[in-house]
Amino acid sequence: MSDRLTRIGAPILLLVVLAAAGLVPSGLDIADPGSKAVDELRIVLAELDDGAAVLVGFDPDVGTYAEIRPTVRMLLAELAGRGIDVSIVSLTPDGRALALAERQRAERLAPDAQEIVDLGFIPGAEAALVALGGAIAGTSELASPGGASLEATDLIIVVGGNDLGPRSWVEQVQPRIDAIPVIAVTPISLLPEVEPYRQSGQLAAVIATPRDGAAYRLVADPGPFAALGDADGGPPALAIVVGLLAAIGWLGETVVRRIGPSLGPRPERDRS
Amino acid sequence: MRRFTFPALVLAVGLLILADLLVVNASLAGVAGVVIEAVILVAAGAALAAGGSLAIRRARDLRARRGDPIGALAVLGGMAAVLVAGLRPGSGGASDPAVGWIVVALIVPIGATLFALLFTSTLAAMRRSVARRDRESLVLVAAALVVLALLLPLGGEIGAGLAASAGWVLAFPVGSVLRGMLIGVAILAAVLGARTLLGVGPSDE
Repeated sequence: MSDRLTRIGAPILLLVVLAAAGLVPSGLDIADPGSKAVDELRIVLAELDDGAAVLVGFDPDVGTYAEIRPTVRMLLAELAGRGIDVSIVSLTPDGRALALAERQRAERLAPDAQEIVDLGFIPGAEAALVALGGAIAGTSELASPGGASLEATDLIIVVGGNDLGPRSWVEQVQPRIDAIPVIAVTPISLLPEVEPYRQSGQLAAVIATPRDGAAYRLVADPGPFAALGDADGGPPALAIVVGLLAAIGWLGETVVRRIGPSLGPRPERDRS
Repeated sequence: MRRFTFPALVLAVGLLILADLLVVNASLAGVAGVVIEAVILVAAGAALAAGGSLAIRRARDLRARRGDPIGALAVLGGMAAVLVAGLRPGSGGASDPAVGWIVVALIVPIGATLFALLFTSTLAAMRRSVARRDRESLVLVAAALVVLALLLPLGGEIGAGLAASAGWVLAFPVGSVLRGMLIGVAILAAVLGARTLLGVGPSDE
């Protein structure tokens, strides 16, 4: 009975403590003021002329979008504040649903901002990316409900998730376009996958950790569209610390308890 | 030879698109464009068919009273709600506010909650793995512990040291293993593709 109570009660207790930690003001700040990722992003954004055209590949998944949502919103707010033309396209059903939700939110909170052009949903995943690459390069037309021309695109922002992320854009779109920088905002679980592309320069900038996202939100300038930016929407630092420490303690205790018998000789099986 | 038809078709299409990427030729680009349009249409049809298949299977489960009736009802009810909201007369389709509300108020929070529950279920799974007393599980959990410690969002010199260590781990051990896997998979796909195109099967070895 006691084991069962522990087995059921411990996760519930952990969730309650995590929820409480999210509500308590801790004074902790997860933003990294010296973030190289943010510096790289600022350089790319600074090179954009006011009135430039940005294509957003919006394909996060509903499971991890909460992690990057405040950063994505701040990025959209900053682009709106500079009067930059933003077009949004999705290649996954999840991404399409979330893109529409963000577009409607932008229309509601910032009715004076330039409207985000909706290029719609294009099925076909990698094949659709090939078609998009051709449309950006001007070698083919875009087969999307939006049907807008993409030849004037100055920057591509990939909001990625577990279904379709920056790797696919780098593989399928980047070889077909000339010198248009690609940047990515992804959950931290994709960091090992996208980091080599950032190091090679194929991704001009990557925001993929809560620290970098928080650091970007600190320095971003959404201008008159601060409400759109959701600057305070990030995860509470204390909850992150409590969660990580709980995981370390829980797993560490297990390893310490098991490491002796595991590394030693295994008990002989009864062969009778 | 029949079993090679579909892989060979896939490879032929892949080679055509690759050739279009490497060679500037208007005719080749036209053919590649038609193929890509066809692939996109097939993908759209497959997605629609998958949705229809799911609905039929759940409806049959419900009718035959097998499986999980509550889950089947939830799936069918969810599909019906989105379809009604998006297809009713006067609706704005996928961009209709009612569809948006279903997504923002229901689907996103439910999805995020299920994903968040992975936190405790993953920890429990790792404990069970360690309880099996094999060295692979111990190495896995030890690596997870190191990564968790490196990700602690602390400030000051300690935080900077942790961030630098995390960067090194990502760039070298993790990065090299991941790149090795990607390169290995790419080589394997190329070899498999060549064997398929040439009609070389296990019986020829």
